[in-house]
Amino acid sequence: MNPLETPNSRLLLSLLDASAQRARVIAGNVANQNTPGYRRQVLDFEDKLREALSRGRSTDALAAIAPSVSEDLLTPARADGNNVNLELEMSAMRQNRLMYEMYSTLHASRMNLIQAAIETR
Amino acid sequence: MDGIKSFFSGFRAAASGLSAERARVDVIARNIANAQTTHTPDGGPYRREVLRFAPILERLGDGTTRTLGVQVTGVERDAETPFERIHDPDHPDADAEGFVLMPNVNTAREMADLITAMRAYEANASVQENFVQMAERALRMAQ
Repeated sequence: MNPLETPNSRLLLSLLDASAQRARVIAGNVANQNTPGYRRQVLDFEDKLREALSRGRSTDALAAIAPSVSEDLLTPARADGNNVNLELEMSAMRQNRLMYEMYSTLHASRMNLIQAAIETR
Repeated sequence: MDGIKSFFSGFRAAASGLSAERARVDVIARNIANAQTTHTPDGGPYRREVLRFAPILERLGDGTTRTLGVQVTGVERDAETPFERIHDPDHPDADAEGFVLMPNVNTAREMADLITAMRAYEANASVQENFVQMAERALRMAQ
């Protein structure tokens, strides 16, 4: 098996990608925090993944799961119809960045292991 | 996999937020500057300006929309807030009974809006900072 193209490394890359996409969704919400009638958007990926994992699907099937963006209709809106909560967005942004750093660290350590394997030959 | 172009689209979303909030601060500054202007070329006192914001949306193939940022779609005059009528017979714009119509600018309200705009500006600036840190992190993966 090619160690660079395992299901796990593909999963890790799609988690990195979803995290980068979520940062953009949050940026759109923060930019529209004062736009009347704007509904905040959310990116769903990890929950979908978790659900698929709990159903015991194969890692190949997991790689086919794509992130999706939807409007948050549950969070109550202010008088102007906007439901962006700045504190919520800023903490989501921080949390998202930490996840991004974690995924990139995992990816880098995988690469380091492969590199070490190549060099010890 | 998303390319570098879309990575920076979030950066641009925050930039659009920065310029929209700056436009709001400009409008607030004009309103406060004209809080005592009783005579305009259109006749009557100054009417406060308000900005209209709208999201920049991109419609995706699957019918969902994605927010790319915010834009100022127009500057309007506030026709709802009434002018204040004060008694000042010495004023050059006073009517026969000595009453003057003052602009519908409420300085306290403008100052409150100014603080909101400044906080929103700061939030957009820290979103940009967040993208810088993520990009640096992504670059370090390649080392």
